[in-house]
Amino acid sequence: MTDVVKYLVSFEVNGESHRRDVDPRLLLVDMLRDDLRLTGTHVGCSTGNCGACTVVLDGKTVKSCCVLAADVEGSRILTIEGMSEGPDQLHPVQEAFVENHGLQCGYCTPGMVLSARQLLESNPSPSEEEIRRGIAGNLCRCTGYVFIVKSIQAAAEATTTDKRPSAEGAEPNP
Amino acid sequence: MITESYEFFAPTSVDEALSLLARHGDDAKVLAGGMTLVPIMTLGLTQPAAVVSLNHLSGLDQVQEETDSVAIGARATHHTLETHATVSSHFPLLSEAASSIGDPQIRHRGTLGGSLAHADPAADYPPVMLALGARFVLRSRSGERVVAAGDFFVDLLTTALRADELLTEIRIPKLEPGTGTAATKLHRVEGSFGIVTAAATISGCGRRGKLAVGGVAPIPVLIDLDSHLVEGPSEAAHATIASEVWERSADASPDLTASVEYKRSMARVMARRVIDHAVERAGAKGGQS
Ligand SMILES: Cc1cc2nc3c(=O)[nH]c(=O)nc-3n(C[C@H](O)[C@H](O)[C@H](O)COP(=O)(O)OP(=O)(O)OC[C@H]3O[C@@H](n4cnc5c(N)ncnc54)[C@H](O)[C@@H]3O)c2cc1C
Ligand code: FES
Ligand code: FES
Repeated sequence: MTDVVKYLVSFEVNGESHRRDVDPRLLLVDMLRDDLRLTGTHVGCSTGNCGACTVVLDGKTVKSCCVLAADVEGSRILTIEGMSEGPDQLHPVQEAFVENHGLQCGYCTPGMVLSARQLLESNPSPSEEEIRRGIAGNLCRCTGYVFIVKSIQAAAEATTTDKRPSAEGAEPNP
Repeated sequence: MITESYEFFAPTSVDEALSLLARHGDDAKVLAGGMTLVPIMTLGLTQPAAVVSLNHLSGLDQVQEETDSVAIGARATHHTLETHATVSSHFPLLSEAASSIGDPQIRHRGTLGGSLAHADPAADYPPVMLALGARFVLRSRSGERVVAAGDFFVDLLTTALRADELLTEIRIPKLEPGTGTAATKLHRVEGSFGIVTAAATISGCGRRGKLAVGGVAPIPVLIDLDSHLVEGPSEAAHATIASEVWERSADASPDLTASVEYKRSMARVMARRVIDHAVERAGAKGGQS
């Protein structure tokens, strides 16, 4: 066994800068949960299969159990805690999950919501099949996915409707 | 949590990475997307003394069109290959294979080079690389060598890469006009690893082609279709191709998802599907030009 040589990294989480000397063995998910106390990011498997640990790293969803904390130098990370200002100002995707019973125990929900957000960013009006492909990396043991899909459809509708007034006069809506 | 400790390095240039590999040799592991390496370190299945991350290098992640070929940096992600217009226009089967890997999170982070270097027998890329006749650039401090895909895959999870070498680039020769290509996989659900993977290219008005099948042997099986296709893609041709696929997949191993017989039988089915698809695309292209 080699002695632990710490590694210094600077990164941003939910808009806040951090600088930390990390054990190279530390996984990003454990740093977020244990060091930064951002426990909304969950751990289901630790091996890349369940998606409970999903976060947005430099604009793209990743499974934070497969990323070393030492490897995030210069990165910008968004976790579920950074998605809304607070319980009164939920993100439209969160709002839609609440309204449409898109969660039961809530274990998969942070990852599910971040994957849904990522999908809607690149594809604002996805088909059911595209939604199912978009959340293929997130396992849910409770809902059977039907209400999750419905929630994402509702979020898509809400966001495209929301945008309409400001887009009026600019470009016709396809 | 990973239990065994190791030293972490994040070189900012390829040369620096190569020096680290030269210094640490067999004790070092290269870290690309980490989608395979980090879980197997977490499970304790590999315990390197040094981890050399490629995630802070500049370069090795570009797709570049050249006169006769397309060069893809080893760090290009599955997501890049799935969405890059140069890739999908020249090698539709490669973007198809990339888009069927895992799930969005895996594709955002996992890389072409990482998948090829890991050499899982059921991975999606290896059959595609064989069918396309790709060439891999391997670099070490002592120089560079170019290895054909057919020589790169040596055995189960084993490649021609030496411990001091990096896979830096994948070069794929452009296809002759009128070539149809396709890739497919048999898997249980969206997001799961393939049981059998297959890729094909068909050219010369359906009289020439290559078929590669993964998941049925320690390394993917490449079948030259020319001798089968003398009369074009007839039922008779499909029958002789099916027997060759059956024979060449005798080394398949059973796993949690499938028995040897099932894999061999499905290899024939997947071969037929992927060839039919490539023939159809070759025809469509031929019709247009
Ligand atoms: C849930 C899940 C589902 C998946 N599904 C699929 C699937 O359907 N199909 C599929 O094909 N794959 C699948 N994978 C594997 C995935 O494609 C990985 O991204 C890939 O196998 C490894 O790529 P990586 O960039 O993450 O490499 P890493 O995990 O970082 O490295 C893998 C290996 O390659 C070596 N290596 C990496 N880059 C280089 C280089 N440039 N030069 C030399 N050595 C290098 C590393 O040392 C290591 O041994 C899945 C993985 C997971 C976790
Ligand atoms: S905890 Fe990361 S994918 Fe399951
Ligand atoms: S709501 Fe319980 S796991 Fe999805």
